[in-house]
Amino acid sequence: MTEPQRERLAAAQAGLLRALLADGTPPAGFDPERLRVEARSLLNKRRGVVAALRPDVAAELADRFRPLFDEYARAHPRRDGTRFREDAAAFAEWATARGELTPPRRRRWWRRGT
Amino acid sequence: MKLGVGIGWRAEIDLTVERLDVDFVEVVAENLHVGHLPESVLLLRERGVPVLPHAVSLSLGGAEPVDPRRVAHLGALAEALDAPFVSDHVCFVRAGGLDSGHLMPLPRTRDALDVLVANVRSAQADLPVPLALENVAALLEWPDGELTEGEFLAELVERTGCLLLVDVANLYANARNLGTDVDRFLDEIPLERLAYVHVAGGVEHQGVYHDTHAHAVLPEVLDVLARLRERVDPPGVLLERDDDYPSDADLAGELAAIRAVLG
Repeated sequence: MTEPQRERLAAAQAGLLRALLADGTPPAGFDPERLRVEARSLLNKRRGVVAALRPDVAAELADRFRPLFDEYARAHPRRDGTRFREDAAAFAEWATARGELTPPRRRRWWRRGT
Repeated sequence: MKLGVGIGWRAEIDLTVERLDVDFVEVVAENLHVGHLPESVLLLRERGVPVLPHAVSLSLGGAEPVDPRRVAHLGALAEALDAPFVSDHVCFVRAGGLDSGHLMPLPRTRDALDVLVANVRSAQADLPVPLALENVAALLEWPDGELTEGEFLAELVERTGCLLLVDVANLYANARNLGTDVDRFLDEIPLERLAYVHVAGGVEHQGVYHDTHAHAVLPEVLDVLARLRERVDPPGVLLERDDDYPSDADLAGELAAIRAVLG
């Protein structure tokens, strides 16, 4: 049986990911500078994937893409079970709601008239 | 099983991969659907080129039991491609309801090893072919490690019978970033269980080596490959390139450099 080990490991891993992805308290025993490097690296990767999936969004935001995405990402860590495509769409909606991105002109047919 | 020298198949460089005339390729399992495999992958299979499914999302070192749907997908892909084995990493991806989007290193503790072993056994029970597990590159070190990385992997192999996929670029990264002793690592792992080897490029930024798969392979990484070659003739060596794709000639040059080290 591995239940006790799983519980201890779950707490440790969740604490590390909260610190790296959601501005959680840095867990004890880690080098704070390396935590910063890792957090930045994960954010860079996530931003790069979203830019590749939505080049239109990255192009329209241009210089604002990076700071806006980073603000969005810290407030919205990727939940288990979500896809990068959903992350990219959620960021576009977030930026649109903030008035940073032009709302899509041609609505999809199922949204017409609403 | 002798594989030779290969390259990671990616949709962006499918024609390049076909032209490079490699001995084997690897595909990222999560990027493919069993029902509609890319034409280029099918062409390579028709040519008799082995195609090895490589997974990145099982989170075998995670505290949660493995997701049987992810294992089933990997197994179905192995059967569709007639692959001799499949692989994933010694890492965790998800925890506490969050997805890191990356291969996170494990604490090298008895607890983590027990959970990893249980998860690997569960995956193996549902896979139609052997599972190989790869060492990852880490930017940070967990506190309170009880085993070296080599000891951790050796015990994993002993308790699960899994194969090893040794990534020499990841080993180099850990040597640079965490002070891992390359020779000790290579002496501690059971090289007779080696499935194949990964080689990749990266870049140093502010004193930290980043395993980007988007830069050229460093001579230092080929040196780690040479130190592995001193100990064993690896069944296969595969070049991974995932972004900022260079010319066909550059990739051919990197494959030639790998062949030169293997002798």
